[in-house]
Amino acid sequence: MSKNVLELTNVTKNFPGVKALDDANFKLKKGSIHALLGENGAGKSTMIKIITGVYKQDFGNLIIDSNKQSFSSPNEANKSGISVVHQERNLIRRFSVGENLMLNNLPKNNLGLINYDQVAEQSKKWLDIMDLDIDPNTIVSELTVAKMQLCEIAKALSLESKILLLDEPTSSLSPQDTKNLFSLLKRLVKEQDVSIVFVSHKLEEVFEICDEVTVLRDGKNACVSENIKNLDRQKLVKLMIGRDEQIIKSKENINENKENLLELININTDLGHKEISLNLKQGEILGLYGLVGAGRTELIKCLLGLDRILSGKLFLNKEEIKIHSPKEALEKYKIGYISEDRKKEGLILMHDVLTNAGITVWSKLKKILSFLNNGIIYNKVDPYVKKLEVKTPSYKQLVSNLSGGNQQKISVAKWLASGTDILFIDEPTVGIDIKTKAYLHELIINLSKNGTSIILITSDMPEMIGLADRIITMKDFRVVGETTNNHNYDDMSASIMENIHG
Amino acid sequence: MKTKIPDFVKTNQFGLLLLVIVFILLFTFTTDGFSSRFNIYALSRVVAIDIMIGLAMMVVILTGGLNLSLGALGVSAAMFGGWCMESMGIPISISIILILLFGSLLGWINGYVTVKTGVHSFIVTLATMSIYFGFMTLLTEAEAFRKLPETFTDFGSMKLFNKYISPLLLLSIFTCFILFYLFKFTDIGRKLIAAGANPDAAELSGISVNRMFIYCHMLSGFLAAMAGIMLTARIGAAIPSMAGHLGFDWLLPAFLAPVIGGTLLSGGKVTVFGTMLGAMLVTLINNGLYLIDVGEFWVRFFLGLILLFAVLLDRAREYFTSKNSIVS
Repeated sequence: MSKNVLELTNVTKNFPGVKALDDANFKLKKGSIHALLGENGAGKSTMIKIITGVYKQDFGNLIIDSNKQSFSSPNEANKSGISVVHQERNLIRRFSVGENLMLNNLPKNNLGLINYDQVAEQSKKWLDIMDLDIDPNTIVSELTVAKMQLCEIAKALSLESKILLLDEPTSSLSPQDTKNLFSLLKRLVKEQDVSIVFVSHKLEEVFEICDEVTVLRDGKNACVSENIKNLDRQKLVKLMIGRDEQIIKSKENINENKENLLELININTDLGHKEISLNLKQGEILGLYGLVGAGRTELIKCLLGLDRILSGKLFLNKEEIKIHSPKEALEKYKIGYISEDRKKEGLILMHDVLTNAGITVWSKLKKILSFLNNGIIYNKVDPYVKKLEVKTPSYKQLVSNLSGGNQQKISVAKWLASGTDILFIDEPTVGIDIKTKAYLHELIINLSKNGTSIILITSDMPEMIGLADRIITMKDFRVVGETTNNHNYDDMSASIMENIHG
Repeated sequence: MKTKIPDFVKTNQFGLLLLVIVFILLFTFTTDGFSSRFNIYALSRVVAIDIMIGLAMMVVILTGGLNLSLGALGVSAAMFGGWCMESMGIPISISIILILLFGSLLGWINGYVTVKTGVHSFIVTLATMSIYFGFMTLLTEAEAFRKLPETFTDFGSMKLFNKYISPLLLLSIFTCFILFYLFKFTDIGRKLIAAGANPDAAELSGISVNRMFIYCHMLSGFLAAMAGIMLTARIGAAIPSMAGHLGFDWLLPAFLAPVIGGTLLSGGKVTVFGTMLGAMLVTLINNGLYLIDVGEFWVRFFLGLILLFAVLLDRAREYFTSKNSIVS
């Protein structure tokens, strides 16, 4: 039996009004990959922050290599060999890969200046360990998202970390990159004596690479260090949400003969889209699939008038239109956009629920002399907020205080309230717990059944195949394929991948 | 919790109100003449203008920007008004409307340039401050307008409420109520705040952020012109140097009032009555220190200190707003 390198025993952490962790346990075996699972708000982040020294637990112990430890800062945790790789990139984009890797310990020459040869040489060592074919002098911003992710792991290794915490490392990676990452992780565990804590919402991945699983639910353990072999997907989901999972109910494909509602013909844009032609039918869910950087979100932003369309034609209901701003898209053409980045573009975090849920309908609701009070807005948005089952103590609550799932529900609610005919929905379930995810899937299907036409961007292949009627594949700012969805995962994923790589 | 504490007690404004009361009591008992009719009246005339310029700065801070041209703009508008009334003989009411339009126009220039160039309004208004003031000096040849209509100057020296309060203060408080109504109960006010809080999210939600920012600058110009009119009425003449060189004398109170009042420097939050109380606090301290006779330089020293403290408070506020999240 191998020993535990990291242990949390009976840890409790209170925040005002909430018990984030309640007598929770966690054991990480040496040389294992351990999945830490739970819905949003279950206490995963709190647990990670205790392990990495951001928070201090109120009760219970943190034990590292059989010694009781107490970190007062992330730096101290680093020194004890614990590193965390976050969802958000922590690299300095304008610096080179080498500089980023060596940042905490830059080699200096006799004059006390940075010795760049040494920087390159030392960082190369870590890149080699990872089998990464990157020149240390490359500027980080020139790397692909996947390579950046790998560089972050290299950076963590360069700190001589023995315990790596990976927080949703694959959320922006393509299936191929994910595969590469996994084989690397497996190798690191074997060769470098590293133990890994793996946080992910994608259960397929957990089964692929993890040895053991700890599940949190409402701050308590639903299970501790359970061997993955004793579990299957259903059991795991039940542990996480306390009930059985609902599978995405694929809807009937819509009638092929429906009229085109929105039509793009040979659109070229300022951002580099080349000859994009596609059409969206009434009540259809049109999927836009592609790897990160394929230009999908960018295309939507051009359609909304945020960036320029250089040539080509845009038709709505057979009439040629030009959209100059999101305001015009909303008020004149009834087109809305649910952003992939809910914190930066979707919501005003420092404002309350009512403001955020009502922002799209203010113009419509205003009375004489632009009069508008909370009551008027409340009457309009309340049905939608209720319908989406947003959990908030009141409408005065700041949205920054809500969980990720509830935040996402509000950024959806405001578009439901606005009553648009066409919705562009961009990565609706990134970082969302399973329960909310299933709920949003159902909602999107119902919307389209009720006549809303939807362009759906998602990098989550099962989600795409579950929801879309047709799937357009994009690569390098071009359309490279179109497939009618038959909702068979193996067929569809094969044909999409062929579009991308063929 | 046993007894529920009313919400307003926990607000910044309530703390400010207490501070204002504390200082009033302090100065009443420690100085001679603070509570005299003469001093209270003088205070009410000063605080009226400080509130107005505080509001003028507040509506630009709302966008996450600054308006350094505030003083220059206000004085330019006042001089324009002097010209209207004295040289052109335009009736007072029409002159006032023209002055306010003129102020809004100068504010529009600030806003338009800021939005179109994407340069921070700090830089833009630093430039326009110099431009406005330079033009004004050039056109007026640095000469004052001292023969304004008596009805106009009489308003500035009118005394109400048993001769304790200037009508100028009532005007400022009235303006506070109007602005409060604007931000709390209108579509446009909500949009101004949303655009300031998160321009990207606001734009994608169908708000024309550029237009909102220009409106904020126009409103700032309008309020600065208002302050200019009030100062002219108070002094009884429109003088190019009445807000100091380049209008610098207005800058400190303009910053202090909203920042003490709880308006976030990063934008997206306004506190109209906080700004009013902030202006009152600053004027009180200013006045009290003079009465204690600590000397001009110490007064400046203390006001600077208060500004630094207020900015620290702003940072703390931002920190706590971001850390407010209970579980992440």
